[in-house]
Amino acid sequence: MPDLSAIPTIALKDARIALRDRFLLAATLALVAAALISLITGTVAMRTDVATYMAAKQQLLALGKSLGSIAAPEFYPLKLMRGTIEQIEIMGAVIALIAGYRAAVEERGRQTLALILTRPLSNWQFLTAKLLGGAGLMATALAFVFALCAVVLALGSGIGIGANDLLRLAITWGASTLYLSAIFAVGFGLSLWLKSPASGLLYAFALWLLVVLVAPQIGDTMDPDNQVAGGVFAQLSIPKAEQTRIKQGFATYETIRNGIEVSSVTKHYERFTFAVLGIKDIYTGKALGPIWADKKGDAWFLILFTLGLGGLVLLRPIRADRLTKET
Amino acid sequence: MTPSTILRRHALAALARERTIALVAALFAALVLVSAYLGWSATSTVDAIYASATHWFEANGKPVPPNPVTQGSPLALLRNLTIYISLIGAFSAIVIGYRMVETDRRAGVLPLIGARPLERLDYARGKVSALALAVGGLAALAGVVGAATLAILPSVHLGPGDWARLAAFFSLGWLYMMIFGLIAIGASARARSETVGLMVPTVVWLVLTFVWPALTGNILPTAAINPISALAPAPQSAIFDLSANLLGPFSLAEAYKYLGAELMGYLPDGLPPRGPVPPLVVMMLFAAGSGLYALRGCLKLDMTKGGPDA
Repeated sequence: MPDLSAIPTIALKDARIALRDRFLLAATLALVAAALISLITGTVAMRTDVATYMAAKQQLLALGKSLGSIAAPEFYPLKLMRGTIEQIEIMGAVIALIAGYRAAVEERGRQTLALILTRPLSNWQFLTAKLLGGAGLMATALAFVFALCAVVLALGSGIGIGANDLLRLAITWGASTLYLSAIFAVGFGLSLWLKSPASGLLYAFALWLLVVLVAPQIGDTMDPDNQVAGGVFAQLSIPKAEQTRIKQGFATYETIRNGIEVSSVTKHYERFTFAVLGIKDIYTGKALGPIWADKKGDAWFLILFTLGLGGLVLLRPIRADRLTKET
Repeated sequence: MTPSTILRRHALAALARERTIALVAALFAALVLVSAYLGWSATSTVDAIYASATHWFEANGKPVPPNPVTQGSPLALLRNLTIYISLIGAFSAIVIGYRMVETDRRAGVLPLIGARPLERLDYARGKVSALALAVGGLAALAGVVGAATLAILPSVHLGPGDWARLAAFFSLGWLYMMIFGLIAIGASARARSETVGLMVPTVVWLVLTFVWPALTGNILPTAAINPISALAPAPQSAIFDLSANLLGPFSLAEAYKYLGAELMGYLPDGLPPRGPVPPLVVMMLFAAGSGLYALRGCLKLDMTKGGPDA
């Protein structure tokens, strides 16, 4: 039975170093700032909509007309999390890459990797500790982001949030932790494997561009409704039933478009969290049970992708000529 | 041969040997092709949707609205290029600018250059001109692929004015990439570690691309990388009016996308630029600022450090 006590020791040592590391703190604060900026600007936009509705309502009442001509808007505070989720997808992923890079370079740069491997410690134990330390770090930073967002939502939306909303935020926090842990593993693995850790970071950035930005962007851009300002169907004023009929004629195109989107883990993360938070209209106000039934595929992809990447890092042995920063 | 010419040739030769640069350039070229395909494919789909909708309008005795595809310029087919230049193009320029100084430092060439009777200004001139040529190569590559695509497509007919606009668009793209390349030269010249030299321009690029548009116009990150959604008007609110006035002049990515859309003919009618400063002026100010930053970095570069342990 292998001695597993070294794993928490190394993971906690990483956590302590990360807490002392001003750069990582600055990066976490940058994520908080990006998330809050999106949340606050979303709140301002929502309040503008409310004000517009109230003004129209007052005008109709003053004219003695019925309110039936304008639809009363429904407001769901969690919908305001859209910008925050998108910031985690993009900015959070960059921070996770850098955290992964630093987890590798702090051992290679300080020449401690060679020392650690002279101890009675397996490669997999060392790597597991580093990955768990990274996942813990991501979980802590995200807990901070989501706690702040919950406070801003409760105070800023004017509607307040309940226990069910908090549960949905907690599930989203879990999914976000998985997503960023996977990206951390990419940054860590590449910075550990390549000759120069800086090259590892560079390749990690290139992968980030492709997986996080380009693949979802291609899918998004291929959406016909994103080709015309305001949407093609809205511009042509086509009723919903006719829209559905027309869309059926483009099933193959839609399959290809969807296939490109789902090749990216980012899209699975986005689809799952958008459903849980009710950001996507068809899931707004829906119970978690039916959402899980619909979106468990995305959740499983996220889980298996993270475990798979972690497994890949664990399985690849540490090369003797990669123990220091430069060789 | 002047010292700056020698340094430029050396920098370009070093870049040509770098596998990373070749990889990033190949990625950029591939995405330019993807962009051309996407433009053609998406436009054809919208066209087919319109044809299908026309039957419904006629069957219901309603007036048929104009086709949204034929209302725009044929250059709009390449609208995704605006985004790919702002993503992969800017990132490539950052990598080129970063490697430009870092390669000298890591190879131990800096102390050798420092020992020669050279002015620091020559070093700066050599590096900036090499960057301009390398980034110009990327812009030219995108230009050739884009122009070939437009020339091959049978349904697209461009006049001399359109070709001139296309050329102006690629010049704009070159300027945009140069700004980030210059920031990367300045950052890697001044940074104490190679990572910081890469991180500073990357963070600036991320903030300008994904955070600033949210502040000035509530443009979310995913919308910021969609050529059409990125041009949504800001919500009608005093707060956004104020933020656009204060922060709009610093919104480089939005200024570039606005000008790109204007040149390629897909700018929504009546959409004002973000903030009171004209987008071209915003880009020129950023170009001047980043140029000065790169120059200052090269002038203050520590020429005594070099080699793998620097």
